[in-house]
Amino acid sequence: MEKIIELKDVWKIYKMDEVDFPALQGANLEVQKGEFLAIVGPSGSGKSTMLNAVGALDVPSKGEIFLDGKNIAHLYESDLAQIRGKKIGFIFQSFHLIPSLSALENVMLPMTFQGFSREERLKRGKELLAAVGLGDKLNNLPSQLSGGEMQRVAIARALANNPEVILADEPTGNLDSKTGIEILGLLKKLNKEERKTLIIVTHDEKISKEADRIAYLEDGKVVRVEKKNIRNT
Amino acid sequence: MIADYFLLALKSIRHRKLRSWLTILGIVIGVAAIIALISLSLGLQSTIEEQFEAFGADRLLIAAQGFQGPGTQSEGITDKDVSVLERMSEFKTISYGSARAGEVEFNNEVKFPSVFGGKNGKELLEDTTDLADGRYIDDGDDNSALIGSRVADGLFKNEIRVRNKIKIAGKEFRIVGVLKEIGNQQDDNTIYITLDSYREIFGETDEVGFISGQVKPGIDILSFQEKVKRELERSRGDKNFQVITPTQILEQIGTILGVVQAVLVGIAAISLVVGGIGITNSMYTTVLERTKEIGIMKSIGARNFDILSIFLIESGLMGLVGGFFGVIIGTLISLGIGKFSTEAGFKLLVKINPQLMLFGLGFAFVVGMISGSLPARQASKLKPVDALRHE
Repeated sequence: MEKIIELKDVWKIYKMDEVDFPALQGANLEVQKGEFLAIVGPSGSGKSTMLNAVGALDVPSKGEIFLDGKNIAHLYESDLAQIRGKKIGFIFQSFHLIPSLSALENVMLPMTFQGFSREERLKRGKELLAAVGLGDKLNNLPSQLSGGEMQRVAIARALANNPEVILADEPTGNLDSKTGIEILGLLKKLNKEERKTLIIVTHDEKISKEADRIAYLEDGKVVRVEKKNIRNT
Repeated sequence: MIADYFLLALKSIRHRKLRSWLTILGIVIGVAAIIALISLSLGLQSTIEEQFEAFGADRLLIAAQGFQGPGTQSEGITDKDVSVLERMSEFKTISYGSARAGEVEFNNEVKFPSVFGGKNGKELLEDTTDLADGRYIDDGDDNSALIGSRVADGLFKNEIRVRNKIKIAGKEFRIVGVLKEIGNQQDDNTIYITLDSYREIFGETDEVGFISGQVKPGIDILSFQEKVKRELERSRGDKNFQVITPTQILEQIGTILGVVQAVLVGIAAISLVVGGIGITNSMYTTVLERTKEIGIMKSIGARNFDILSIFLIESGLMGLVGGFFGVIIGTLISLGIGKFSTEAGFKLLVKINPQLMLFGLGFAFVVGMISGSLPARQASKLKPVDALRHE
């Protein structure tokens, strides 16, 4: 299998009122192309910090992060923005849609930043929303959608630029369990059918037990990685 | 892409209607004030120009120089100066005359309008005025008078008509003509008689208020102006007179109007600056409110430049919308003032000026962009992780 993400001795230290708070303390992790990885751990273990670093939302204080063979740990903001736009699709716990834009416009927005024409954006935006089952709610504002529907829009948006990696931070955390299962199903389908590398940060066992591998984080370090087939036997 | 950012900005403005409109109102007021003042002063300028144009650019005006300070002596223009000019072959016609306020009686009512006595001025009057009734007066028409529209209608209780009789300084005159409204109160309030009658009733002998000489075609008016000055200096032995062309008067008025315009527009510009600060303030609030949105946009691939553009366009758009309404309101105000002023006796031709309106729009857009530049910069510099965490 091909490595798509590799973290080598990654440190992230937040400075808070003269006191240093180390969120990541030498984390190491490898992610294979096309796999479904769950990152679990107690609150404050650095799960989200790690996801942000992998997703080029933040740069580490120390260490190397390779995405598709390229070190992204020390890039400028404009380069990081390009990586986020093209290679990564983010899905957040609280959906993070733009409230003044319709479902379709939210899905089209990442393509706008990549300079796609309006026709291309409309076409792909409609296809993606149809694929997540919202073909009839293209023009609804986020406030006119349910939580599950908003997360579907967010998934469609994450797929807009056809990224290789989907990063999801507690994607079902704000949803009821039935809707949560539907959303998880949708994400798994992307992983299995479209071979998207899927990394989910969660503390929900129902999600983590579906993953190919589970990385356990404690005190800013990956303490253990479990493979599903090992667990199952 | 810029077109897409316009749409994004428009949606964001519409999303917070009340605050956007209040902010825009500041720009509306500033732009309306500037457009109204510029339109009015342009109107004033074109009104004056129009009156001078009728007068003709091929004329020289000769008048006495005013009192120039202690120790100087001012001597008026007389028939002697007229005869000096009449000997110069470059002049086609020389008209001259005097004016003063005179006691005028009609139906036992006494008023003091301006009385003008002219010689050789029929053509000049024909060129610069229109008749409402009757005819113009000519040099032989002693005891006849031509009256301005306000003298005819408005000065006295009863309207004066052609063939009515009035008394000027005690002497009876017959009205032979009434002029159409010229548009400025001074001219409309004047009675025209011959210079001979004028001198008789006011007891003058050879004084002349001013001379207007029409130059023959093909003569360079500026160099001829110098020649007239030299001739008059030689014959009079003093420099207490002035020789000017209508263009020069127009230029002087233009300079004065320019200064007045600059001061007025400067004052109006202050309100636009205040409006701009309103935009800055509102945009800072917006950036704060939408910190999370900025984080979202960055997380899906927006570069700093994209965020900067979106916010700059948004503030520019507020300026533009303000400019749009400001231009309309300012134009309406100036048209209203022009109409009111003309009806009140002071002619003011205010026209719709498309160039000025376009300028107003563009200027408002630029003011909006400049006002939004600091908040937009702040927005673009936000760190994506911090912005996303913002509640």
